[in-house]
Amino acid sequence: MIRDITIGQYYPADSVLHRLDPRLKLSGTLLFIISIFLFDTFYGYIAVTVFLVSVIKMSKVPLKYIMRGLKAIIVILLFTMFFNLFLTQGDVLVRLGFLKITRQGLYSAIFMGIRLTYLILGSSLMTFTTTPNQLTDGLEKLLSPLRRIKVPVHEIAMMMSIALRFIPILMEETDKIMKAQMARGADFETGGVIKRAKSLVPLLVPLFVSAFRRANDLAMAMEARCYHGGDGRTKMKPLRYHRIDYFAYLILLIYMTIVIAISVIENRLPSFL
Amino acid sequence: MQIIFDNVHYVYSSGTSFEKHALKGINLKINKGEFIGLIGHTGSGKSTLIQHMNGLIKATSGKIYFNGEDIYDKNFDMRTLRSKVGLVFQYPEHQLFETTVYKDVSFGPKNLGLDKLEVDLRTYEALKMVGIGDDLIDASPFELSGGQKRRVAIAGILAMQPEVLILDEPTAGLDPRGRDEILDQIAKLHKEKNITVILVTHSMEDVAKYVDRILVMNNGNLVMDEEKVKIFSRYKELEKMHLAAPQVTYVVNALKEKGIPVSTDVTTVDEAKNEILKVFKDKIQKI
Repeated sequence: MIRDITIGQYYPADSVLHRLDPRLKLSGTLLFIISIFLFDTFYGYIAVTVFLVSVIKMSKVPLKYIMRGLKAIIVILLFTMFFNLFLTQGDVLVRLGFLKITRQGLYSAIFMGIRLTYLILGSSLMTFTTTPNQLTDGLEKLLSPLRRIKVPVHEIAMMMSIALRFIPILMEETDKIMKAQMARGADFETGGVIKRAKSLVPLLVPLFVSAFRRANDLAMAMEARCYHGGDGRTKMKPLRYHRIDYFAYLILLIYMTIVIAISVIENRLPSFL
Repeated sequence: MQIIFDNVHYVYSSGTSFEKHALKGINLKINKGEFIGLIGHTGSGKSTLIQHMNGLIKATSGKIYFNGEDIYDKNFDMRTLRSKVGLVFQYPEHQLFETTVYKDVSFGPKNLGLDKLEVDLRTYEALKMVGIGDDLIDASPFELSGGQKRRVAIAGILAMQPEVLILDEPTAGLDPRGRDEILDQIAKLHKEKNITVILVTHSMEDVAKYVDRILVMNNGNLVMDEEKVKIFSRYKELEKMHLAAPQVTYVVNALKEKGIPVSTDVTTVDEAKNEILKVFKDKIQKI
């Protein structure tokens, strides 16, 4: 059950996507997220889908594995679609008692569903193909101009990398503690809301204790190695763009041009959908 | 036969690049009242194997029987199995959560749905068994020393009064005295209550001192399953699997190679001492 949560995890594989520069993947993901909010018609989404599918194919991460990330947001997804479907004003299509489905509502529910799904798929694809270290290196480099206005960029990046690094550790720890308490007859699966919430105490208390213990150990280990923040710190593997990265930037540029073009044309044309 | 494994396979994260074949067709029979040592290097599948015994992990294929019942049968009650097969994980003190030692130990028996009196009884008995005195019963488990925490955590399992007790490296990180105390108490329990004990450990000395039969895991396979003396006589094979026999096995084997007629069937320091003294006495008498 706990192994099903795949958001934020790294999936080792040997693909073009894995080899790309993290800065490119970060900005690419950001652009992709912007691109899925650009339109309100199906044509645009065809372009987005083609792009996403080909990137997923290139990543060599099994589709089944990527899809598992959606499980975590299924409730939010259904909620959003439900509200959009029933609460949008417009031309009424179906009436179910006091609820009504409008044409506009139907479209916005579908688009919202697509957007949220693509948002999760796109961003989890980034974490699948980028190790936490690369990710934070990339982020630090991308944000480094902000250092001029006294933003502690290195510290932010370090905190993020530690947080990401701890996800699998805490997940494993949760799994272990859960099993240990189940061995003592604890029951996490049955009963009402209150009983279930109560049954989490034997899980959460040891988990917090262990998280603090680990944080303490890590801080100690960092200090023992004379870590003192980002000032004057050099990198063993500085990020450098290669030819493939420039090529990828070009593809990204073409993609954005196409998408923006579609959205501009769309707005000019009378809506016939 | 209390526990039977019939061709049990287990695959982790199947279908992804994390896929790992952790158990490759395990066949195993465990009788009531046995004291078994389970050894194998890190990642050989020991922990996976023991988690199958109380149903925390479901085998990918194969069958497991407990007291003659198929534990994967629809009508089989997993909770009963978990109360009868007590599993003490590695570093069990990490799972303490209650405000007092008493409450933590009584968590297991309470989950079994026993009445207050029985819960009290079992809790006090379990704490006594592991040597935690009355003065600590209302202390917070987080205030105790490392060894005391470990004992409280083990008491948490004992309070469920299991028929089979499985311990995954119960002495890791303890000082020699704490280690001997815990293992002696477990051996005493084994003798007095005739419960089956399965001890997972890296310490060959512990294995030599306490267990009767040894299971050796390597790479997801059960490669050896014999009496301890027989296993230790195959110490050259053990070394190939990054394991070793107890120190005294090497001593008596070296003596034998030098032509001194000692028996190599000894496993503990005391036995070795007696054996060597016996050989010397024989020699003196001959002179």
